[in-house]
Amino acid sequence: MTRVQVDRERCISSGVCEHVAPAVFELDDDGVLQVLQAEPDDPAAAAEAVRGCPSGALSFS
Amino acid sequence: MSAPVVPSGSGLEAVDLSDRTFWAQPPEVKHAVLDQLRAEAPFAFFAEPEIPYLPVGPGYHAVTRYADLEAISCRPDLFSSGAGAVSIQDMPPDLNEFYGSLISMDDPRHAKIRRIVAKAFTPRILEGLVGSVQAVAEDVVARARRTAEEGDGTIDVVADLAAPIPLRVICDLMGVPDEDRAMVLHESNVILSGGDPELIESEEHAVEAFLTAGALLSGLMTRMAVERRSHPADDLTTALVNAEVDGERLTDQEIASFFILLLVAGNETTRNAISQGVLALSEHPDQRDRWAADPGLDKTAVEEIVRWTSPITWMRRTATQDVELSGRSFPAGTKFLLFYAAANRDPAVFADPHRFDLARDPNPHVGFGSKGPHFCLGAHLARREISVAFRTIFQQLPDLEVVGPPARLQSSFVNGLKRLPARLPR
Ligand code: HEM
Ligand code: SF4
Repeated sequence: MTRVQVDRERCISSGVCEHVAPAVFELDDDGVLQVLQAEPDDPAAAAEAVRGCPSGALSFS
Repeated sequence: MSAPVVPSGSGLEAVDLSDRTFWAQPPEVKHAVLDQLRAEAPFAFFAEPEIPYLPVGPGYHAVTRYADLEAISCRPDLFSSGAGAVSIQDMPPDLNEFYGSLISMDDPRHAKIRRIVAKAFTPRILEGLVGSVQAVAEDVVARARRTAEEGDGTIDVVADLAAPIPLRVICDLMGVPDEDRAMVLHESNVILSGGDPELIESEEHAVEAFLTAGALLSGLMTRMAVERRSHPADDLTTALVNAEVDGERLTDQEIASFFILLLVAGNETTRNAISQGVLALSEHPDQRDRWAADPGLDKTAVEEIVRWTSPITWMRRTATQDVELSGRSFPAGTKFLLFYAAANRDPAVFADPHRFDLARDPNPHVGFGSKGPHFCLGAHLARREISVAFRTIFQQLPDLEVVGPPARLQSSFVNGLKRLPARLPR
C-alpha cells in the first residue's frame, strides 16, 4: 500500500502539493502541511504532487 | 564588451548574454540563441557586465538545460543563494541591507525566515485577503475602458492593465496607504529596470538610484510596521509583525527588506506575465478564443503563460565547493545563472517547446523556480492574479486588440514590456 509521508522539517509550505492534489494535501492556518488522505484515492495525482514538491519533503512509504 | 567562451565556428562567438541590448530583441531571436547554447554549449561562460562603482567579478556560466538547472537548484548546500541570487555581481553591503532578503539567503537563516513569512502567506490567509483580486481587476479594467473612451480609443496594456493589478493587490495585501502607492510603483520600477536607460538616467546613477529606492521603500515599511504593532489591521503587515517561529520574530529591518522583495518579486513578474500573455494571445487568436470560451482551461492556460513568458529570466547560484555537473568540474566560487527561459523550452522535457499551447499537460515548467527551498513564495497569488486578470479581460474587454509592437525592457533578468499599445474599439 502506498502511504504519503511529509517531512515537516523540509517542507517550505509552498502549497505545490495542494495545487496538484487538493484532495490529499492542505496547508493549515499556520502554514503547516496536513495530509488529508494518507492513502490517496487518486494515487496518480498524489504521485505528481510528490514529484512536484520543490523541497523534497514528500515521499511514499 | 565581453566575449563568451563557446565553441568556435558555431556562430555563437558573437553572442553576449551580458549585453543588455541582446535582451530587448524579439523572443524568437533570443530563443534561437538559447536553443543553440543549450544544444552546443550548455555551460557557456560569459564575462560579467560592467556596472560603475561595482567591482567586476569572475564571470558566470549560463545553465540552459532543464536537467542541469534542476540539479543545481535542488542542492542549496552546494549552490548558494547567499552570495547573491538576483544580481550577477556580488552586492556591496549597503545595497544588501535593503535587498538582502529571503531570496538571497542560505540555511539556516533562510529556513527560519521562510517559515515565519510562510505563516503569514498561507493559501488560507491569502484567500481571505485576496477576495479583492477580483474587485481590483474589475476596477482596473473599467478604468482602462474609460481611458480609451475619453481619449483616442487606445490604451497601453502595460500601464493601464498589467501594472496596476499586481501593484494594487500587493499594496492591498500589505495595507499600503493610497497616497504612497505612486512612489511604490516608481521605486519598484527603478529597482527592476535592470539599468534600462529609460528608467534610470544614466549608468553612473544606477547604484545611487537603487539606494534611494531602497531607502524610500524601507522607510515606508518601517513606518507601517510600527503603526501595525500598536494598531493591528487585517493585512499582511500585521501578520508579519506578529508572526513568530521558535519565539523569534522579524526585526523592522527584516520586514522592510522582505517588503522590498515582495514588491520586486511580486509586482513586475506578474505584470509581465499579464502583458506578455496579452501579446501571446493576440498572436495566437485561436488559442485566445478557445480559452475565452472555456474557463475549464484556466489552470493549464496560466501555467503555459508562465512557461511561455518566463518573467524571471534567471536566478544566480554560486558553488560553495568544487562541484561536478554532467561530467564537468567547476571550482568553488563558480557563478551559475539558471536560465529558466531556456529550461522552459528544453525539448528534452517539453514536446514541441516553441508551441504556445494553453492546454499543455503535463507542464513541469520552472517559471516559478525549480526544485529547492527558494521556490516562489507567491506562486499561488500570481496564478490567481493571472487567471482573474484574463477572465476579467475576456468578459469586460472582449474587443481588446493589440495594435502596435511592444517596447521591450533592456534587462537580462526580467523579461519585461515597457509598453504595449492596444485599441478598445467599442
Ligand atoms: C508570474 C509571477 C512570478 C514569477 C514568474 C516568479 C518567479 C520566481 C522565481 C523564479 C523565484 C525563485 C527563486 C530561486 O529559486 O532563487 C521566486 C521566488 C520568490 N517569489 Fe516569485 N514569482 C512570481 C510572483 C510572485 C509573487 C506574486 C510574489 C509575492 C507576492 C512572489 C514572491 C517571491 C518570493 C518572496 C520569493 C523568494 C522565496 C525564497 O527565496 O524562499 N513572487 N519567484
Ligand atoms: S509541495 Fe512540498 S514543500 Fe510545498 S507544501 Fe507540499 S510538502 Fe511542503
